[in-house]
Amino acid sequence: MRRTDNSAPTPPDRTLADVPLEEEVVLVRMDVAGDDVESLLERGIVPGCKLCPIRHAPAGGPTVYRVDGALVALRKETAACLCVRSALEAAGVLASN
Amino acid sequence: MNGGTPSATLVVDPAEGNGAAQGRAPLVALVGPPNSGKSTLFNHLTGLRQRVANYPGVTVERRSGQVSLPTGPVEVIDLPGVHGLSPRSLDQMVTRDVLLGEQEGARQPDAVVLVLDATQLNSHLMVAEPVLGLGLPALVVLTMADELDRREGALRVSRLSGELGVEVALVNARDRATLEPVHRFLKALHTGGEEVRACPIVVAADHVEGHGAGRPLPMIDLFAARRERARALGRSAGFQAPRLSRSTQRLDALVLHRLWGPLIFAGVVALVFQAIFAWAVPLMDGTEAAIAASGDLVRTVLPESWFRSLLIDGVWAGVGSVVVFLPQILILFLFIAVLEDSGYMARAAVIADRLMHRVGLQGKSFLPLLSAYACAVPAIMSARTVEDERDRIATIFVAPFMTCSARLPVYALLIAAFIPAQPMLGPFFGQRAAVLVGLYALGLVAAIGTAAILKGTLLKGRPVPFVMELPPYRLPSVRSVGARLLDRAKVFVRRVGKVILTVTVVLWVLTQLPVTPDGETPPISDSALGRVGHVIEPVIEPLGFDWRIGIGLVTSLAAREVIVGTLGTIYGIENQDSQDFELQAALQRDLDLGAAVALLIFFVFALQCMSTVAVMRRETGGWRWPILQFTYMLLLAYVGAWAANAIL
Ligand SMILES: Nc1nc2c(ncn2[C@@H]2O[C@H](COP(=O)(O)OP(=O)(O)OP(=O)(O)O)[C@@H](O)[C@H]2O)c(=O)[nH]1
Ligand SMILES: [Mg+2]
Repeated sequence: MRRTDNSAPTPPDRTLADVPLEEEVVLVRMDVAGDDVESLLERGIVPGCKLCPIRHAPAGGPTVYRVDGALVALRKETAACLCVRSALEAAGVLASN
Repeated sequence: MNGGTPSATLVVDPAEGNGAAQGRAPLVALVGPPNSGKSTLFNHLTGLRQRVANYPGVTVERRSGQVSLPTGPVEVIDLPGVHGLSPRSLDQMVTRDVLLGEQEGARQPDAVVLVLDATQLNSHLMVAEPVLGLGLPALVVLTMADELDRREGALRVSRLSGELGVEVALVNARDRATLEPVHRFLKALHTGGEEVRACPIVVAADHVEGHGAGRPLPMIDLFAARRERARALGRSAGFQAPRLSRSTQRLDALVLHRLWGPLIFAGVVALVFQAIFAWAVPLMDGTEAAIAASGDLVRTVLPESWFRSLLIDGVWAGVGSVVVFLPQILILFLFIAVLEDSGYMARAAVIADRLMHRVGLQGKSFLPLLSAYACAVPAIMSARTVEDERDRIATIFVAPFMTCSARLPVYALLIAAFIPAQPMLGPFFGQRAAVLVGLYALGLVAAIGTAAILKGTLLKGRPVPFVMELPPYRLPSVRSVGARLLDRAKVFVRRVGKVILTVTVVLWVLTQLPVTPDGETPPISDSALGRVGHVIEPVIEPLGFDWRIGIGLVTSLAAREVIVGTLGTIYGIENQDSQDFELQAALQRDLDLGAAVALLIFFVFALQCMSTVAVMRRETGGWRWPILQFTYMLLLAYVGAWAANAIL
């Protein structure tokens, strides 16, 4: 389900699950179903926020992200629903708007 | 949300004296995101000992306490942490209902203290909007001033106060000396000081949000806008986010490491078990000696009579045999408290998430399950934080399989009687500790297996996203760890005093009846108790148990450790002529290895705890789940014990 339309010409988006450790990205779209998205939103994980994966838990467990100076762990399945763009690239897009 | 009337109505006419004259003290609610320090603040204000730990979702109930001020009393309530006022779990529902005055039998608070973590100001300010938007007089307390400072963050309190239009205080909730502004605010509720203001600005913003656009905004946009406003507030308050804590980074690198992480986990577990067995011994010996000495003293002081028999052979033997285990239980709680207060538990939940995912639960369920190692009752309540109702039921259904501290006396007694104290993996891990680990593991396997079955059948549902906040590691405070131990010791003593003492006295009376024609007490197996035991015996004979164990199993329905007291009493009376009888030795005589293992396995599985049944009924709103749970666990216990006895 497409929740937030991003009408700017979109370069191929990645999901948060594909981002390598230590790369800062900006969240652009959330494809989480139904009301579940609220548990992310209320912690400040909303389009426009910066996320940076900093650690994978052992044995394919969740990944720990830095969000607004706090640490939040998300499952791969959840991260795969979040479309992101690299922070540098996003800054460029914003500037050209 | 209502349009806020900046209320000064609760201010009392000074001529009338303080709030008590009005009939009731002002009611103040502590509100804020999880783990922001509400309960820490509450404890300092009220002097109570509400549980505090370093992971989100510790408080799941409303708890109220009184603050006595020179100006009069104020009633303060501690609430579960929330990120907003749209509840998605039962604990959040509690907070919402209290704030809106919709909780049965409770009035709406007169003011709120909004507690936010200063190190996460940007995201925590998001909750300010809905909460301050209620229009109640408010104080904003920013906690973790010490950490903000240490990690080189910055913030201008007066500017934030100017932006929000209410008082703002930056405090260290663990340090009473910094809490003066909070007291000032509470006093102002009586005196009508200017500190008592409702926030005007945010109310307006919220108003526009709801109606201005003509239609409700989609949730994502609504939150994105709210976050933008929160950040703008932070910016104008000169907020500089602190860097991540270096020690947390370093510890996480170890604790969440691919190899070290699981090893550390195993090491911690081994350490706990070894401590319970090896290191508790001197303490237990001391307790045992004290009980024996006091018993002897009473024996010499009192003349021979039925009363002395009740006291020595009944109460001292029964209650004493349970009290011996207090040191072990306290050691277990010491470890749990330190782990919870340090921040390790949240990491353990992350490590366990894969496993939980495989059985269809979420990592969040792991925290209640971990706390069930202490006691299933608070664990079942803390599962309120699990958002999905089916997940919550599955979690509380399996929670009693986790080895609670009430099983510890039973395990310890039987292990000490039947397993030799030999080292296994070096001096730090002995055979007895290994068997204990095995029993804990068996309970865990049962819990996980049952959860998998439930989530595959009765409670099938789609997976919900797992979002787990990892707080920075914090040095456990002596105060909260000490409070935890003290409370636990009290609970233990109270249980021993009430349940075990009552059972012991009743048992003793049953062993004295019926009086034989020549006025003697009957031999125990002919007594009323013995007869009851013999009625039960056929049912438990296949498990290798005799009638004494049968009586113990019946009384342990009240609480598990009662079986130890019961056996203490029965053997105490049987051996009243010998000066010092040993419960362990008596068990070695009457049980073979197969029966001992069967008994252990029975206790791993069976739900012998009326408090658990009662809290299950309350938390599920009916008898269906508790009855199903009790029957299921009893069947598993019986079959497991039978198999063990048959094989060994
Ligand atoms: N350094 C520091 N630690 C704090 C402060 N306030 C609270 N803590 C710690 O933060 C953790 C969480 O505190 P709690 O009082 O349990 O938080 P809570 O808001 O009641 O949390 P929930 O009940 O989960 O909503 C504990 O480990 C506290 O010791 C503070 O001002 N400074
Ligand atoms: Mg709390």
